[in-house]
Amino acid sequence: MKYPLLRIAMAVGLAGSSALALAETQVERGEYLTRAADCMACHTAKGGAPYAGGLPIDSPFGTIYGTNITPSKEHGIGLYNDDEFFAALNEGKRRDGANLYPAMPYTSYHRVTREDADAIHAYLKTVEPIERAAPETSLSFPFNVRPGIIAWNLMYGDGVPLESPEGKSQAWQRGQYMVDVLGHCGECHTPRGMAGAMQADKRMMGGVLNGYLAPSLLARDLADRGWSHEDLSSFLKLGMSDQGTMFNEMYPVFHNSTQYLADDDLNAIATFLLGDQPPEARVLNEVPLDQVSSSAQRGRQQYLNVCAGCHAPGGEGKPHIAVAMRGNTTLRLDDPRNLLRVIEDGIGEQKFTGFERMQPMPGFADKLDQQALTDLLNYLRQTWGGKDSDLVLADVQALQEEASPE
Amino acid sequence: MSNRDMSRRSFLQGSVVAGVTVTLIPLSNQAFAALKEESVTMPSEQWLGTNGKARSRNDALSKVCGGKVFARDIRAKDMPGWPEQQGHAMLLKITKADHIYAGMDLSWLGAELQPDRIVTAEDLANDGIAFPQDHGPDPLLPVGQVPMFIGHPVAILIWNDFECFRQAKAKLKFNDKAIRYGAKAELYQTDPYGSFRYVRVGGATSADEDEFASLKDSILFPMLRNRRPVWDSQPDLHGDLTERGLYYAGRIKQQIDAPPDNWLVFDERYKTPSIEPAALEPDNGNGWYDTVSKTLHFVVATQCPLEAATETAKMIAPSRFALNNLKIHPGYTVGYGSKDHNIFVYYAALAALYGAGVPVRLANDRYEQFQSGIKRHPFDIRYQLAVDKTDYSFKIFRAEMSVDGGGRANYSSSVAAVGATAAQSIYYMPQNDLQVTAYHSRGVEAGSMRGYGTLQSMASTEMMVDEIADRLGIDAIVLRKKNAMVSGTKNTQGAIPAGALRLHEILDKAAVHEVWKNRHALKQQREAQDPYHWHGVGFAICQKDFGTGSEAPMASVEFTADGHISLRHIGIEIGTGMSTSQALVVADFLGSPASEVTTGETQWDELQLTTGGNPYTMSQAEQNNFLLDPRWVGKLASASSASNSAYYFSHATREAARVLFNHGLWPAALHIWSQGPYGGQANPYVVRREDANWVDGQLTANGMQPLSFAQLAKHAHDLGLITGATVHGFNRWSWAESEFEIGKTRVRLPLDGLAVKYGDGAASEKQAQMNSAGFHLLDRKTVHYPDVQLNNAAVTYYSPVATLVEVKVNKGTGEVQVLNHHSWIECGRVLVEELVKGQLEGGVAMGIGHALMEEMPLYEGGPGEGDWNFNRYRLPMARHVAVWKQTSEILPPLSRSDPAKGIAEVVMIPVVGAIGNAVAHAIGKRVRDLPLTSTRIKEALNG
Amino acid sequence: MANRSLQLTLNGNAAEPVDIPDDLLMIDYLHEYKNLTGSRLGCGQGICHACVVIVDNPDGTSEEVRTCITGAHYFAGKRVRTIEGHATRDDEGKVTQLNPIQQRFVDEFAFQCSYCAPGFVNAATVLVEKLQRQPVAKSQLEKVVEDSLGHHICRCTGYVRYFSATRNVLTELGLVREG
Repeated sequence: MKYPLLRIAMAVGLAGSSALALAETQVERGEYLTRAADCMACHTAKGGAPYAGGLPIDSPFGTIYGTNITPSKEHGIGLYNDDEFFAALNEGKRRDGANLYPAMPYTSYHRVTREDADAIHAYLKTVEPIERAAPETSLSFPFNVRPGIIAWNLMYGDGVPLESPEGKSQAWQRGQYMVDVLGHCGECHTPRGMAGAMQADKRMMGGVLNGYLAPSLLARDLADRGWSHEDLSSFLKLGMSDQGTMFNEMYPVFHNSTQYLADDDLNAIATFLLGDQPPEARVLNEVPLDQVSSSAQRGRQQYLNVCAGCHAPGGEGKPHIAVAMRGNTTLRLDDPRNLLRVIEDGIGEQKFTGFERMQPMPGFADKLDQQALTDLLNYLRQTWGGKDSDLVLADVQALQEEASPE
Repeated sequence: MSNRDMSRRSFLQGSVVAGVTVTLIPLSNQAFAALKEESVTMPSEQWLGTNGKARSRNDALSKVCGGKVFARDIRAKDMPGWPEQQGHAMLLKITKADHIYAGMDLSWLGAELQPDRIVTAEDLANDGIAFPQDHGPDPLLPVGQVPMFIGHPVAILIWNDFECFRQAKAKLKFNDKAIRYGAKAELYQTDPYGSFRYVRVGGATSADEDEFASLKDSILFPMLRNRRPVWDSQPDLHGDLTERGLYYAGRIKQQIDAPPDNWLVFDERYKTPSIEPAALEPDNGNGWYDTVSKTLHFVVATQCPLEAATETAKMIAPSRFALNNLKIHPGYTVGYGSKDHNIFVYYAALAALYGAGVPVRLANDRYEQFQSGIKRHPFDIRYQLAVDKTDYSFKIFRAEMSVDGGGRANYSSSVAAVGATAAQSIYYMPQNDLQVTAYHSRGVEAGSMRGYGTLQSMASTEMMVDEIADRLGIDAIVLRKKNAMVSGTKNTQGAIPAGALRLHEILDKAAVHEVWKNRHALKQQREAQDPYHWHGVGFAICQKDFGTGSEAPMASVEFTADGHISLRHIGIEIGTGMSTSQALVVADFLGSPASEVTTGETQWDELQLTTGGNPYTMSQAEQNNFLLDPRWVGKLASASSASNSAYYFSHATREAARVLFNHGLWPAALHIWSQGPYGGQANPYVVRREDANWVDGQLTANGMQPLSFAQLAKHAHDLGLITGATVHGFNRWSWAESEFEIGKTRVRLPLDGLAVKYGDGAASEKQAQMNSAGFHLLDRKTVHYPDVQLNNAAVTYYSPVATLVEVKVNKGTGEVQVLNHHSWIECGRVLVEELVKGQLEGGVAMGIGHALMEEMPLYEGGPGEGDWNFNRYRLPMARHVAVWKQTSEILPPLSRSDPAKGIAEVVMIPVVGAIGNAVAHAIGKRVRDLPLTSTRIKEALNG
Repeated sequence: MANRSLQLTLNGNAAEPVDIPDDLLMIDYLHEYKNLTGSRLGCGQGICHACVVIVDNPDGTSEEVRTCITGAHYFAGKRVRTIEGHATRDDEGKVTQLNPIQQRFVDEFAFQCSYCAPGFVNAATVLVEKLQRQPVAKSQLEKVVEDSLGHHICRCTGYVRYFSATRNVLTELGLVREG
């Protein structure tokens, strides 16, 4: 299914944003848009200077390194003019005419307005130039040859198809620009085909990335997992809500991007995702122990042994320390992958806004065997996740194998 | 008035307080050896090296084996004679400060989990509990009142068994469901805890007479209006002390407001955070009230066992609970000051008292410790410093400081005073006007904490001096050398610091340190190599007081005929190693260290001391009058705090050992050397006591045959010479001195109490004199006490430390990382080098935390709400402190007779200023609010 | 709240089986049921590591486990060592020999108040045992100490002596190879 492109609507959305009205200069606007487009996520290495590149991005085809986009003339984009910058953003064209690797989400950025692109460029010109080259990217065939990318672009490079804004509120339209264009959320939340391109017909229906599921962002799925408009927008702002905290790949997105977004834009995002008439968020009651499966009942002791110290025996969590299991959105996913991964891998220390700093969660890969894991997953999913069927040992085994293919 | 404990009164007479017999038996005492595998300390043969130095701490063995060292480790079944059942208690607290407390509701806990006893304000009132005034009012908030602060306790809940307690507490945590809130109300208000002003206008040089100074004239005190200090006396050069002081303060202000052209006037604000001391042993106590014998047995973690005992006895004595005996057992502990003068002790005692015969343990978990444990005071500081741009000399120093004391009066008043009087750091200030006020707030109670106000003021001063050097365009160490005090110069109160000041020696060393010399080149070079970070080098120095201006150490040293030396001391082992170092101090005079050490001792019946009056506030006439009583002392016993062990505790230990030497061992040696015809081997030579020397554990002098301690001990006993001495000293920035008659000799000693023991062979008349708890109590023949005016000196004992720091600052995150640091310390004579270095290493780490990491909101969202822990409050970890690279240097003493100086606090201060200066060097901007978090650094860079 | 029986091996001896609540934390079991108080409650939240014990795995490896966030029943059937179990003692209970880490911590004045010492002793002991199976290259020595002790909190010492003592004892025991 193809949607018509509507650049005009984008412009309308922009004009309606009071957040941007606050930004007085083009550079300030650009800084905000750079945050919204989350350029930092890929173009800043851990511990590195901002936008100096060097962050390794693992793709199925090899490791791609974010480039240096500081105004360094030698190593960065100091020689780009606005037209060239716009071409890079919109078309994936390098200044020398070569194609950028599609890890650069130019299929999403394809709809970024020229005005916004210029503002982003204006801002990037003000950051400190870092005179250091980012590491070389090395990919497997055919992506290790840049001409190979041309073929990819022919197939998919025409920009992501967008839903018609007809009859939608201004907030919805702004939200679409924030989500589908600047935020390039679909890059992760849409499943990808063999060639690595997003599957247009499964847009926002969830994609697997480095072993974790970037869950579906469809309105009915969000509501089913307990999301309301308010919770969703404050989740983006604070990185945490009653449904849990941002973790894995979303944590840097929060850190570099969503926490900086203006309330109007956060509302717009929630409006777009949940729709102008959002479905009711599903409320789940805790299921008593005697009503869950025998595997889940066994899982209770596993929970008390290694989880309850932080998440509390009753699943209420500890404020500012560890999230609640009651109401936790990850427990509600049909796909148990994320829950399993988190239990096995743990989560590193996560700082959120202000003084919020959730303590690290240890990984239990070497503490719980497959049976114990299966029981624990069943306990969590059936007690607080609204699931009524058992996972069996083979399910867990399969997921484990998928996570570590060697 | 340096009112470190403005209203504290001691009524302890002998060991009977308010009619209650008080016995303190430290957990380390041999009597408790039965309750664990070994007693806490080892005999000296196990820890003393052949070179006379400590091979380890004397408490190392039990500590490294997880022995029951802390009060925290004790359960009822560990205590001889206690019932086995262990009850548990918790404090229920109200967490909204802007509502009336309307009562509590525990019904939702269900019948099974109801507390066995609930103690409320009403109970305390009905039962006649006289809660210590210093920690009042309202230890438990009465219904119908607005809380004094967030986290105000409303009740003590007691369960007889662990399981009910555990389950109920889990339900009560992280919510205030048990609290019923009434109407919204105005926040609680009360007057400032203290307000002081130190004005000094010196003469042409420091040596000239001051025109006006606190020591010579007076500290100034304001009037209070609308809970603020106001200065509405009329300035008058010929008026009373306050009017004169205000005249000079006014003149200072005029000068700095209209400075001559050649002055630079610096004028900036600094803010410091509220800090959780984070002693890893949280506050705790465990007590059993034996209803039959009317005895309270009380195991408690405290840095001031004597105060805890005295106040506990006084609290219970007038109540409906009959109390005949209080047996208190202080454990080895840790607190960095936070377990000194701590209200928690009395909650724990009450929990035990209301235990109805069941031993009750009240022990904070970490959330509760954050919620109610004593905090470091946050300071808000405005500094003005006028500097002559032509010769770089400091001219005028003005300070206005506000100190947040939290919701309950503790040591805020004296912390404010000490902070203000330390503000000068190491610099001579020809004129100063230092104003400071400590306020009440709805935050958690702040009190004693390592640094005691000086960390806040001096770290700021050191950042100021560095910034001024920048503005003047000169080297910051050159500016420091120009203005650093030299021996004999006056401080901002007009007092002359004790002994030699070796600040220039340290500054000279720092100035030629490679990192300092090459700091600009290093920065350039490193930034070229590492484009992701800014690099910087910073230096700071300070000198900090030790002691409180009212120190009262007590020690007792004895030896047996078979050469066993024992030491009893009031000091508590708080991790610093005092039990080891005090044992060693004895060796100066006895040739061997004490084999047996009892710390936390408070049984000093032999001295029959009395006290009364407030040593900080009494008038000279009052003091003179008190001194008519030969048993009166200005203060009974020091807490273990204020870096007081190395100097003050050693003073008592040394003086006791000295008496044993001069009146026991030395005459015994002379007797041996003089045996035989014509005075034996001693006769041909001249033998002098000042030539006495211990060599390899043997005593010799002027070529006399070396004698072993064992031999001398036996002989001293046989001759009935002095074999035991208990001493008491008093120090108000100078020692009290007394004359005693020991035998037929009259001696003048820096002591105000002395009791001695005679050897086994003493004549019966001497034996009969030992009628004061086994000692012969000597009367003071004369006594000279330090004048009360010396209170205005505020400080005379200083130890200096300097630290040089290298940092890098991430260009993206703004995070600061300490790469390396080097410190110089001058602490006089070193008692145990490893202990000194250990204090330094730990202090520097704590300073790094203060400078870079540790921070909490003061009020709403802060620790008072009971949900803070080390995930949100970040303590420095090994990766933050340059654990492998850091270095340090102890200046050698001027001579062996240098006193040992207190260093436990000063070590953590310069690193804070040095980091501030290093960050400024790195990023080219000044951040004056601590800690230097990435947020503040990013703000500074963008602003 | 259900009770269930717990059986485990504590410091080499089978602990008497006892019925305890299914959600009892290990630290409470050690403190209130076994009167073993050397594993200290610091944060109660798994952050400071003052409470860690050593679990000996069937495969001969050992690891530190935080008792303040781990249920007692997790240890069912396991072999557990606490700080009280390291030293060799004579019949009267007097310590005759410390383990090498304990001895070195004592010799180098590693701790002050010692509240955190049991955690550091256990972590460093686990490290010694790990390197006894596979020595560490000299170039990795400091890193392996950081990785093993770096998550433990100490407020008194600034970590310097714990770290250097551990480094020194590893060398002394021949657990560091060239490279």
